[in-house]
Amino acid sequence: MQRKKIDYSNEHIKYLKLKKTDKITTILAQIFLLITIIALWELLTQLKVLDPFFWSSPSRMFKTLFDMISSGSLFEHIGITMAETILGFIIATALGYFIAVLLWWSEKLRKILDPYIVVLNALPKIALGPIIIIWVGAGMPAIITMCILICVVITTLSMLSAFLSCDKDKIALMRSMGANKFQILFKLILPNALPEFVSVLKINVGMSWVGTIMGEYLVSKAGLGYLIVYGGQVFKLDLVMASTLVLCLLACVMYLFVGILEKKVRKK
Amino acid sequence: MSDDYLQLKDVSLSYHTKEGEIKALKNINFCVKQNEYISIVGPSGCGKTTILSLISGLLKPSSGEVLFEGKKLDKSIQIGYMFQRDNLFEWRTIYKNVILGLELKGMAKDKQSLERANNLLKKYGLYDFKDCYPSELSGGMRQRAALIRTLVLKPKVLLLDEPFSALDYQTKLNVCDDVHSIITKEKQTVIAVTHDIGEAISMSDRVAILSSRPSIIKTVQEIHLQHIDSPLKRRESPEFSKYFDNIWKEIDNAEKKD
Repeated sequence: MQRKKIDYSNEHIKYLKLKKTDKITTILAQIFLLITIIALWELLTQLKVLDPFFWSSPSRMFKTLFDMISSGSLFEHIGITMAETILGFIIATALGYFIAVLLWWSEKLRKILDPYIVVLNALPKIALGPIIIIWVGAGMPAIITMCILICVVITTLSMLSAFLSCDKDKIALMRSMGANKFQILFKLILPNALPEFVSVLKINVGMSWVGTIMGEYLVSKAGLGYLIVYGGQVFKLDLVMASTLVLCLLACVMYLFVGILEKKVRKK
Repeated sequence: MSDDYLQLKDVSLSYHTKEGEIKALKNINFCVKQNEYISIVGPSGCGKTTILSLISGLLKPSSGEVLFEGKKLDKSIQIGYMFQRDNLFEWRTIYKNVILGLELKGMAKDKQSLERANNLLKKYGLYDFKDCYPSELSGGMRQRAALIRTLVLKPKVLLLDEPFSALDYQTKLNVCDDVHSIITKEKQTVIAVTHDIGEAISMSDRVAILSSRPSIIKTVQEIHLQHIDSPLKRRESPEFSKYFDNIWKEIDNAEKKD
């Protein structure tokens, strides 16, 4: 059971070294690829092979970023988009999880709602944009609603299938020990579906960004999605590229955050 | 030791599906004595597991009744149920798995019960592993933990549903010995379902042979062996192969009647 320290054989040391070199070369190649793209982009735009008016360039991008940072407007836009995304993410995940629990609880409800869920899942949520704006008003509420709509159905469906895939024997075991439905839910179904919950979180990180940016494309006066749309409309490609870059970084950070959470859950 | 510790009286059961009705069991009658180990064997798909589900209360009989000490079996009588796989919860430590039943019954803080759990873990060599997760244990140890989880609740009757069939042969023989000795020490009354005739003979006092669907009990074979210390020893008894032959023929006949 306990892992002891063992003197590895030469062959094993060689194997470990090989694994390590393999990892290092991969990372080096990844960095190299990134630098090459940036350098090539800069070079081609400097040489006017690509028109920087249409293509922007790394140096112009960073200059735009720097200006936005020094004026403080960047953080304002980031703050708004982050707030929308995180709020949408949390509400959608909680709501979807809760609906999944309800549907697990009642087979009848599940059967009745089944066609509605199928339709909702198939429907491109962006089509609901105008309705959302009319119903909840333009601005932040509409954006968050869009974000929730995009995440909630997939959350419900994934969690429900995780709940339902629980081993029948384990449920029978719980019942043979006298468990009621609440106990089966809280002591078996929910903890059993924890790994699936973490993968839903990972999916939702991506989906909530999609929802928020889509929402901002439709209605907004601030936020990264707004910057991208606005930049596109007035042909400020520097702004579009810079905002996209920031968006990439933020999505990465949020993804890493969930990744850490996943590791903690897996350890248990 | 009364004859009617657990009794199945004229028990029939039908499954209903859209396609129709399937008669699984027909007028099953048999008694289990206290501290007895009885195995149920029969052709595959004959409803062996159904009998266990009936006794455990997971299914209700279409007709007939299950009696415990002369009274109708209800929720107040604890029945232990062990499955083919150990069904330990991977997110709980061995200790937490073992006290699961106590938690469900609101006895997780009951000192006496917890002491019993700890004592069983100590007695059967799992105490050092109580903070390990199931994935860190071998198949045999996991099955032992599952058995302790059931025993903590002091079941009146222990139901085993092919509890050894998921193990490889070598492990299976050892785990059989292991489980048999624990069951004997804890003075359990056991009804086991198996398709392994050798296992049935080596573990049981009696072996009930079911016919194919709708199942009735064809015969009940009493097992008297020369060696009785452990299932492994019992397998070496001279009468072992005779019993094996008899039971095998009975099951074979039952299958051919289809």
